[in-house]
Amino acid sequence: MTSAVEADDVRLVAAVLQKDRKATAEFVARYTDAVYAYVHTRLAPQHDLVDDLVQEILLAAWENLGQYRGASALRAWVMGIARHKVEDHYRARLRAPEPIGDADNDPDTPVTFPKFDQLLDQEHLRKNTWRVLRGLPEQYRLALIWRYWEKASAREMAAKAGKTEKAIERLLARARAEFRERWNHG
Amino acid sequence: MANLRDEEFMRLIADGAGPAESEPAPSHLKAKIYSALVRRQAESGPLMSLTKIKACGEELCVFEELVRIAPLGERAKSLNICRVCHARVLAEHMENAPIYWSGCPYVELKKA
Repeated sequence: MTSAVEADDVRLVAAVLQKDRKATAEFVARYTDAVYAYVHTRLAPQHDLVDDLVQEILLAAWENLGQYRGASALRAWVMGIARHKVEDHYRARLRAPEPIGDADNDPDTPVTFPKFDQLLDQEHLRKNTWRVLRGLPEQYRLALIWRYWEKASAREMAAKAGKTEKAIERLLARARAEFRERWNHG
Repeated sequence: MANLRDEEFMRLIADGAGPAESEPAPSHLKAKIYSALVRRQAESGPLMSLTKIKACGEELCVFEELVRIAPLGERAKSLNICRVCHARVLAEHMENAPIYWSGCPYVELKKA
């Protein structure tokens, strides 16, 4: 059974496909904020790229609207396109040569976090996490966001970035080590 | 807590911190996206005519209404008239552009 929201989504899509400019404005008004918020956080702190990517996502969504069948909410469908586009961005960036790093770290080596008790304060945690992420080299930052917020496995990342799984694991290990270092001494 | 591995630590960070809060999209970005979409639509043939849009119960802006009631063919009423409107130019280049009349898609996007 189609929900009222999905029926409204189907109506909006039909109107946009008939080139109703008012419906097109409604489409932009409904989904740009959500796409912008998503891209803004995933690309932080590279905000100069956000506007172009958001526009690319909305254009791609419009180009593919004919394939929308109302099986899910239009918002979820548009956000799916946003996720793919952000992954494309990660993939392109991770394909570039890696930053020069130290010798490989063993990802299984236990480490200590003397300031771990600070994690109890959520607001401090959020601010400190973003402070550290912003300061990391781009590839480290993107790898960590892709792995831990997007929940992509090292295998998926490797397949999409055109690298070996081992190379991604090494990149993640270096990124984590750098994160840890800056977290403790930043 | 003392011997957490990197992997576990990062998972805790991700679960606890989450992505940062973000502001709404700037209105000039929405205006640019709307303009780009309508321009693309117009490239592949006429837009829905203003007569039909009005018949569907949608509100037209003052300029669209003038075109709708003018003694013109439906083809002319299907043109992308926003392309030559100063409201579009202002909205694409300014946050809080000084445009206020109702029915204008750029005014609506400014409110969204």
